[in-house]
Amino acid sequence: MKNNRFVYTILTPVFICLLVFKVLPILIGFGISLFDYNPLMEENTFVGFDNFKALLGDEVFLASLKNTVVFVVVTVTLNVTFSLLIAQFISMMRSNKMRSLMRAIFFMPVVAPLAASSMVWKSMYANKYGLFNNILNFFGLPGQNWLGDKNWVMPAIILFSIWADIGYNIIIFSAGIDGIPGEFTEAAAIDGAGPFRRFFSVTLPLLARTTAFIIPMTLISHFQMFAQFEIMTRSAGSTAGGPNNSGMVLTLEIYKEAFKYKNMGYASAIAVVLFAVIMIVTVVSRRTNRVDWEY
Amino acid sequence: MVKKKKNVLIRLLGLLFALAVIFAVVLPYLWMLLTSFKSTPEIMKNPGKILPIKWVLSGYEKVLTKSPFFQWFTNSLVVSVSVTLIVLFTSSVAGYIFAKYNFRLKNVLFWLILASMMVPFSVTMIPNFLIINELGLYDSLGSLVVPMMISGFGIFLCRQFCEDIPNSICEAARIDGAGDFYIYVTIILPLLRPCLASLAIFTFLESWNEYLMPLIMLEKVDSMTLPVALSFFSSQHGNDLSATMAAAALVMLPVTIVFLIFQKQFIKGIALTGGK
Repeated sequence: MKNNRFVYTILTPVFICLLVFKVLPILIGFGISLFDYNPLMEENTFVGFDNFKALLGDEVFLASLKNTVVFVVVTVTLNVTFSLLIAQFISMMRSNKMRSLMRAIFFMPVVAPLAASSMVWKSMYANKYGLFNNILNFFGLPGQNWLGDKNWVMPAIILFSIWADIGYNIIIFSAGIDGIPGEFTEAAAIDGAGPFRRFFSVTLPLLARTTAFIIPMTLISHFQMFAQFEIMTRSAGSTAGGPNNSGMVLTLEIYKEAFKYKNMGYASAIAVVLFAVIMIVTVVSRRTNRVDWEY
Repeated sequence: MVKKKKNVLIRLLGLLFALAVIFAVVLPYLWMLLTSFKSTPEIMKNPGKILPIKWVLSGYEKVLTKSPFFQWFTNSLVVSVSVTLIVLFTSSVAGYIFAKYNFRLKNVLFWLILASMMVPFSVTMIPNFLIINELGLYDSLGSLVVPMMISGFGIFLCRQFCEDIPNSICEAARIDGAGDFYIYVTIILPLLRPCLASLAIFTFLESWNEYLMPLIMLEKVDSMTLPVALSFFSSQHGNDLSATMAAAALVMLPVTIVFLIFQKQFIKGIALTGGK
């Protein structure tokens, strides 16, 4: 159909919004990363790529870059593996009620605000009265200072993040598994393939389309995780980041630099790096997971 | 006979495993609720006890009387409802236009919408903060609504669904003299209902749970939305675990209850949008 007046009356405000809040911020972000920009200063001097050069010698930045990569790689790997296995396990259950109960239970943490569930887990990780240490003590094992020990901060946050987010992928994998026509697995069963063989040789390859959707989406969302780091690594009297910055990630560092110290130029340089990392990872994971067939 | 017995055993083990997993996933909720009904001195003195020795409501009382909890709740509700209604409108009307109309630059504009979906907020938050400041929206609920009025995902989703609506229906209405907007309201919107239901769920949840954006856009205690307010409350009452858990419960339970009531629609919605 054609009606330019209608089309443009609607689309003009839509695209103005899009430009102001999505496109312009990217350009501004690149722009201020080249300045020593502080909103409280009278003058903001142009410094070229100095902010980026400074990043290379900044221990906090290097630590948060490393932590971000470790967090994303470990969490996404565990998340995708377990969500696939759990989805397969759920699909093998006979009772319909049990299946939807399982899905609902796993999905429950996904709808909860991350800020609230982080708070709950933070108290479970607490040193003296926390749940985890109580369980360990009950079995005669020594408790750990989970969020106060630089070796335990990351594992603790990773475990939480898997709990908080795995339900989403379970639902999508379940939908994928249910979408596979039964003939394929039945034919394999008649040919004598056991349950493991059926899973790895039939179900898994046929799920390639779902995996191609899940892996990039999960990667992108985990690069941006923020609430759990800000809340769980914060302790009374100190700003977030954990002992020796062991719980510092890029999003948290951008937030701290920009809004706690008002170094918006420097923070924008970190944001540009994060943007580049996310873009590269997205493109690579889309390429490697591309699927050209249908059934 | 032996095979049958083995099968029953496997089923039983599977069931036990399922129950154990369910318990593990629900455990944080139990911990939160049980702790919220203990008094703080009791938590400190009896760390090993899981059940409250004495059930008390002092934590809840503190949240509801010592903080503007209802104000926070209202703020969250106003922001999430506004964002959801606006996004439903802009997504459906733009999706309809991209599916059914021909105009110049259509493909470029649609590509722009898809590209906008890929822009992470953590990357654009500093310029967004500066723009909101320029617009005079800093520390107002508008700062959480205005930047979220357009959803690239929403437009994309609605376009997919509009494309399944046969052109002949729209054309027939047109011949009968219906205007474009009238066609959108009377024909397109009702047919988009399932798609809009899932979009509403996602948009509402995302807005309700958002933490980073209100953290940077809001300053006054009275203008906070629930997730930030909760974080603020816990930093104010850091030692009062009972009150913190009560506040967390008050924030978590409404969404959880709504989810449990509408779980079928939720799960269908995820599968619908994710599987495409």
